[in-house]
Amino acid sequence: MADKITIGRILRLLAISAKMDLVWLLRDTKYAILGIAGDMVNNVATVSGVFLIASRFGGIGGMSADEVMFMMAYSTLVTGIFIMFGAGNSIHISRIIGRGQLEHLFIQPLPLGVQLMTRGFNPFTGGGNLVVGTALMALAVNRLGLVITLWWIAQLIAYLITTMVIIIARSYLVSSMAFYAPAAAEEISSTAIDGTWFMSTFPLSGMPKYIQFPMLTILPEGLMAWFPALCLLGKPPLNLTAYYPMFFALAISLAASYIFKKGLRHYVQKGSNRYLSHGFRR
Amino acid sequence: MFKKAQTDIYHTDSAVSIKGVTKTFIQWQRDNTGKGILRNLIKPEKRVVTALDNVSFEIGKGEFLAYAGPNGAGKSTTMKLLSGMLLPTSGDISVLAMSPQKQRRAIMRNLGVLFGNRTELWWDHPVIQSFEWKKVVWDIPDAQYRKNLAMVTELLDIGGLLKTFARELSLGQRMRADLAMLLLHSPSLILLDEPTLGLDVMAKRQMIGFLKQLNERSGTTIVVTSHDMDDLEEMARRILLISGGKIAFDGGFAALRNELGCTKRAVVNFNNGTQRQIDYQDTGKLLHELSGLDGVADISFTQTSLEEGLANLFAKWRS
Repeated sequence: MADKITIGRILRLLAISAKMDLVWLLRDTKYAILGIAGDMVNNVATVSGVFLIASRFGGIGGMSADEVMFMMAYSTLVTGIFIMFGAGNSIHISRIIGRGQLEHLFIQPLPLGVQLMTRGFNPFTGGGNLVVGTALMALAVNRLGLVITLWWIAQLIAYLITTMVIIIARSYLVSSMAFYAPAAAEEISSTAIDGTWFMSTFPLSGMPKYIQFPMLTILPEGLMAWFPALCLLGKPPLNLTAYYPMFFALAISLAASYIFKKGLRHYVQKGSNRYLSHGFRR
Repeated sequence: MFKKAQTDIYHTDSAVSIKGVTKTFIQWQRDNTGKGILRNLIKPEKRVVTALDNVSFEIGKGEFLAYAGPNGAGKSTTMKLLSGMLLPTSGDISVLAMSPQKQRRAIMRNLGVLFGNRTELWWDHPVIQSFEWKKVVWDIPDAQYRKNLAMVTELLDIGGLLKTFARELSLGQRMRADLAMLLLHSPSLILLDEPTLGLDVMAKRQMIGFLKQLNERSGTTIVVTSHDMDDLEEMARRILLISGGKIAFDGGFAALRNELGCTKRAVVNFNNGTQRQIDYQDTGKLLHELSGLDGVADISFTQTSLEEGLANLFAKWRS
C-alpha cells in the first residue's frame, strides 16, 4: 500500500532538495558568489527605482516614501518565496505539461502535489531575494516606527501565504491550457506571471478606481504587494475588508484546482507525444 | 488518480493482467490548401487511431517477456498504460494485483520503469546524488539502499561513474546508471521501453547479461520492448508480437520461428569439393541423415534470422 505522507516525510523531501541545491551552488566558488550577488543586485535595483521616485516626490499617490519601501519589501519577500520554491518549473508548470514531462512525476510514489511542493525548493541559489526582502522589511518597519507583535508577524505570514496561493493558482489556471495545446501554451505561465510582474511593484494608491478594481480582480497584480502591504499598515484600501485577499485566494485556487484536474484527466487519456528532455532536471 | 485511492485488489498470481483493453487516440488532420485551412477553422478534421484493440494477456511472476512489433504498433502505449501514465479507453488492467489508475503510488513502490529515450538522473549532479534523491523520494530503508547500491555498482560496473555528472556520461554509461537507479528500491516488476536504443555492441552485451542475471537470480519480472529481435531472443523466453493494436503472436521464440517459416539449414562440404544443403526442423532426423553420409569434410549450420522473417511479416501486415 502507499505510505502516508507525514510532516517528517515532507521535511525530508525538502531537505534533499535543499542539499542538492547547496551542492549545485558549491560546485564552483566563482559561480556561487556571482549567482548570489547577481540575484541581490538585480532585486535591489528593481526596488530602488520605485523607491527613489517616491523619495523624490515625497511619496506616490498618498503613500509615503517609507510606506512605498514597506510595499516593495513585501513584494521582494514574495519574489523570494516564489524563487525559493519554484525551481525546476514547479510553479511555471505549463513548461512541464507542454514538454510532456509529467510522466517523470507519475512514476514517483508520491502525490503530485507533494512532488511539486518539494521538488523545486532551492533555498541557497534562490534565497537571495528573501534575504534582501527581509532586510528591506526590517528597514521599512524601523523607518515607519511600527510596533511588531506576534499577531502582526502572524498576519504578515498569512498575507505572504495568501499571495503565494494566488500566484500559484494563477499559474496553474493558465497552465491548464497546456494540457490541450502543449506546444502553443508551453510558456503561458511565465508570460502570464512574469510578464505582468513589474506592475506588482507599483503603488496603485494614486490610481482611479476603474484601474484599481481590475487590478484586484481580473489582473490581480494589486494583490501581489499593494493591497496586503496597506492591510499590514492598517489601511485596507477601497473600503474592502482586510480579508479580501484570502477570499480571492480561496476562489481562484478552487477554480484552478477544478480546471487543472480536468486538464490532467485529459492528459492521462490523450497522453503526450511531445516529450522534451531539457528543463526537467537541473 | 484524483479521488482518494480505492483499493482494487485483483486476486491473481500474474504480475500483469490485461483484459479487453482498448486505447484510442484522436489525431488532428489538416491539409495546407486554402479550402482545407478554412474547413479546419469551422470543423476540424479528426481521425481516431486505435493503439490497442481489445487486447488481453497475462504475464506471470518471474517471467522475462519480450514485447515487440513494428513502429506505431502500440508497444509504448502499453508500457504507459501499465505504469499509470495513461488511462485505457476501455478494459481492465492489473499490475502486481493492483489498478494503475487507482493505486499508482502503491504500484510505483514495486515497479521500475525505464524509457530508453529519457533519463531519470539529475542532469547537473553526480550519479550518486540522483541515487540519494531516489532513496528519499522512495523512502528506501538504509540497509536496503546500501545492499542494492553495492549490488548494482558491482553488476553494472558503475563504481567509476558514481561521482561523474550525469550530463558527462556516454549513452551506454547513462543507461547503466539509469538502470542501476531503477533497481535501488528492489522493484518486483520492471518495464523497459527500448533499453538498448543507441547502445554499442559492448554496452548492449553488458545490459543484456545483467538483465538475464537479474531475472534468473532475483525472479524479477521483466517486460522489455526492442526493435532488435536478436537482443530480445537472447534475453526473453516468451514473446508477444503486437501489430495494429492486436496481439499477433504469443509464445516462445522456437514457436515463432516455426510460425514464420524460419528455416534451419545444414551445409555439408564433402572431401571431393562438392556441397549439399539440408533444410531441417528436427535435429534428431538431421543427425540420422548426416550419420549416413560418407566423405564429409565439414558441416556448418545456419538459420534464417528472426529479424528477416519478422521484416517479411511486418511488410505483409502493412500491405
